[in-house]
Amino acid sequence: MSCMKDDELWENTKPVIKTPYKGLYIVNEGNYMYGNASLSYYYIESEEVHNDVFFNTNSLPLGDVAQSMVIRNGLAYVVINNSGKIYILDANTFEYKGKITGLNSPRYIHFISDTKAYVTDLYGKSIAIVNPQAMEITGSIDVSTSDNQFYRHSTDQMVQFENLIFTNCWSYDNQILVIDSETDEVVDSIQVQEQPAALVLDNYGKIWTITDGGYTMNGTTSTPALIKIDAETREIERTIYFNNTDHPIELKLNGAGDRLYFLNSDVYTMDVITGSEPELFVESPYETVIGGYYGLALDPITDEVYVADAIDFVQQGVIYRYTSNAEPVDTFKVGIVPGEFCFKY
Amino acid sequence: MFRKLVFILFVVISIKGFTQGIQDSVYMLPSATVSAEKVFQKEQAGMKETKLDTLILAQKINLSLSDLLSENTPVFIKNHGRGALSTASFRGTAPSHTKVVWNGMPLTNPMAGMVDFSLIPVYVIDEISLNHGTASIVDGSGGLGGSVNISNSVDWNDKFNLKYLQSVGSYNSFDEYLSVSAAWKKISLKTRLYHTYSKNDFTFINRGIGDINPETGEIVNPLDTNSSADYIKYGVLQEFYYRPNMKNLISAKYWGQFSDRTIPRATSYEGPDNSNLNSQQDIDHKLVLNWTYLKEKSKLSILGGYSGKDLLYTLMNNVSGVGYYPAIYSVSHNDTYSGDVKYQYQFNENYSFSAGSNYSYNSVSSVDTVVNGGYDVFRSEISSFINLSANPISKLNINFILRQNIVDTDFIPIIPYFGLDYRILEDHDLIFKANVARNYNVPSLHDLYWQPGGNPELLPEEGISYEAGLEYRKNLDKFSLASEITAYHSDINNWILWLPSFRGYWEPRNIDKVISQGFEINAKLDFRIKMFKFSIIGAYSYTSSKNYGDPLVWGDESYGKQLVYVPLHSGNLLARVMFRGFYFSFQHNSYSERFTTSTNNITQRDWLYPYFMNDVIFGWHTTFDKMNFSTEFKVYNLFNETYHSVLYRPMPGRNYVLSLMFEF
Repeated sequence: MSCMKDDELWENTKPVIKTPYKGLYIVNEGNYMYGNASLSYYYIESEEVHNDVFFNTNSLPLGDVAQSMVIRNGLAYVVINNSGKIYILDANTFEYKGKITGLNSPRYIHFISDTKAYVTDLYGKSIAIVNPQAMEITGSIDVSTSDNQFYRHSTDQMVQFENLIFTNCWSYDNQILVIDSETDEVVDSIQVQEQPAALVLDNYGKIWTITDGGYTMNGTTSTPALIKIDAETREIERTIYFNNTDHPIELKLNGAGDRLYFLNSDVYTMDVITGSEPELFVESPYETVIGGYYGLALDPITDEVYVADAIDFVQQGVIYRYTSNAEPVDTFKVGIVPGEFCFKY
Repeated sequence: MFRKLVFILFVVISIKGFTQGIQDSVYMLPSATVSAEKVFQKEQAGMKETKLDTLILAQKINLSLSDLLSENTPVFIKNHGRGALSTASFRGTAPSHTKVVWNGMPLTNPMAGMVDFSLIPVYVIDEISLNHGTASIVDGSGGLGGSVNISNSVDWNDKFNLKYLQSVGSYNSFDEYLSVSAAWKKISLKTRLYHTYSKNDFTFINRGIGDINPETGEIVNPLDTNSSADYIKYGVLQEFYYRPNMKNLISAKYWGQFSDRTIPRATSYEGPDNSNLNSQQDIDHKLVLNWTYLKEKSKLSILGGYSGKDLLYTLMNNVSGVGYYPAIYSVSHNDTYSGDVKYQYQFNENYSFSAGSNYSYNSVSSVDTVVNGGYDVFRSEISSFINLSANPISKLNINFILRQNIVDTDFIPIIPYFGLDYRILEDHDLIFKANVARNYNVPSLHDLYWQPGGNPELLPEEGISYEAGLEYRKNLDKFSLASEITAYHSDINNWILWLPSFRGYWEPRNIDKVISQGFEINAKLDFRIKMFKFSIIGAYSYTSSKNYGDPLVWGDESYGKQLVYVPLHSGNLLARVMFRGFYFSFQHNSYSERFTTSTNNITQRDWLYPYFMNDVIFGWHTTFDKMNFSTEFKVYNLFNETYHSVLYRPMPGRNYVLSLMFEF
């Protein structure tokens, strides 16, 4: 005898998959400890969206705090931060194929080869080296320091320049670490402003990072900035300061790697060439600094811009799609706290 | 001689119809014997108060207050798991709108502004009453939902009493409770010691994890153990009462408790076993000194108290080459000193007056040593009131209260309350009640200063409430009925809500308006058929609590939607039958689906389906040469249901507790 309807949760209707399916995955982070992360899939051409594609296909919830996603050789790798794992699914059918477990607090995955990838970590004080094919952890790169003023280093996004991997240490930190992907060792670090939140590498060998200024805490605030670093010399070439009350969070490049887009309540864009200044691309409807704009993506082929609005962070988020000239194209609802995107071409 | 005096006094009181409110606390007999509840009291005109039956308290002695409230009152408990954080809300309001008073002293922690009801064991409670909605204004301000009064009472008649209880339950759960009391002519002492431990290692099918069967390719959910969920709690409650004469009563009560809990990880967690370890330790000390002075027409009560809390929350990870390393190490300490004076005066049987003032001084120091952030704040609060109660015509009681709060140097607007009772039928306890009141709740210190996220700009929450109801009681020889239906409406402006933000952490903000309205029905029926005594207690609530804040942007569909984790329907039923020394109880409680998104959007992935829980208790007690023995066998989750109270937090299946108690 049973009165409650737990069983009904696990009888799913699989989404209908269309071909050709040039599409965009939206990674919905969900709320911490709610286990309500999800994947949405948007058909770029027909402008249709399917929510909960992973859960509906596999009767398996995605997990707690889905952080990021990468597609490699037809497989999608979804990093689920507070579940300590990476789910692997067929990028075309959403079918669950396996997982890499045993990760502490994973944030991003970066492929060095088909059999080697780095996984950054918020709390582990190390970067995990994984073999994605074998779905195994094969080693780790120690990034702990003797500096215990804060919880350093929390590694985050990664970009690769030649054999070097650059990663920003976001949480309570101000460093960009440089790792040699052949020796798997930290070879250098670059000090920037408090809390570098994002990292990109442009077409001219320049690394850009955006710092959010840190938490408003005793002695840890600094002016947020957009910083340009030469990947070769690791010298800071330019620093554009924001207002102290700003809180920029996202930084993306267009397909050609010559134009930056970032979120600072509103959406801004800027040419990567010297002397240019950020200009407003799309204004957010939020009146206060507290706003819902949380994620940003650039179509690498068409340069269309997708902006994720998490609204109050406890309801379905909205994605706004714009042309490269900031003309609205489409608006659609996704899962809770859309934060990252992944294109499938 | 003394007893005779007490007896005479009682007779005089009863004959004159003198307010019981004044004489109660000193000379009242043990609560179990005074079952006739007060009806039509002018001092409580318009108020809805629920007192929990002492038999229920006795049967649920080894539970926590959260279980007791969820099973037997209209209060909704949001339970994060067995032994884990449990918050209480009345009438669709927030947990911070439920104020708790322990022996006349506020128990609500100034840091979080709320109480974790899982930390209050029923062991320390002799009497419990709930003031619904604006009735909480008698206890203080801020109870936009209501207040819970727990208190200890003295039994002067019991010269010596020793009680020991031992329980053993599923999942390695053990409870021990010992109380010893002694009463002399002028002095009474009581000591209680308790200890609760549970490994809490129940098994469940983990829907958060999928393993692929290498042969069939099917996704299999493993059978998991609820690891990292153990809890321990132990404490002492010491009471001391001194009555030098008929007019004075002096008491001192100390309650100390230690609690240590491991907080389970997300069920979908598949990281290293030695990482992502969360635990919380709470150490509480409370002391209250009380002097009550009674005269023929007046009562003066002076109270001084201290309440201190140490809270440690840690998140530990194993860092290779370093060992366990904290990612969160949050240490909070708070001291609250309070003083309270209350004076009641009875002009005659138709008019009474009371006034009082409470002062509390709170100091909070909260720091996370990992990120070196936190806050140190002092806050003083004064809350004073005057109260006039009248019975101008025999059928009508009216009650008027004005309360003024001063927080530090800020005057919070005046809190007025007006209530009335109208006896509809002469000689029958059929009473119409109504009240209207305004109330304010100031932000908690965490709301204002928590790092990161606290918002010093937050405004106090302001509520305006209207309430009306009917109460009916009937007592016959073999039958008694008590029932009440109440409808209410509250407009709450500047509702404080914590929401996640793009900064990566949660931040509180004021929402323009929340309207909470609904009705509550409760009834208690006792009757006797031959040797069988039956008791049926039931409650049903309809709770609509909706957000009417300005939509943030296009696409914000939270406007007009039910608040998260507030069920529209909730109800419970306790049916008990006693025959000689045997008894059997059936306990049911249920609520409709709860939403977890502000837009009430439900997906199959996060649907918190309606909840129906059934428990049974079998008991037997006997008296043998002045010694009482009793034994109880309890079955929780009778139908072995798989369910969740909070998203993706596993709950145990059918489980058992066996208790043995002896007393002399």
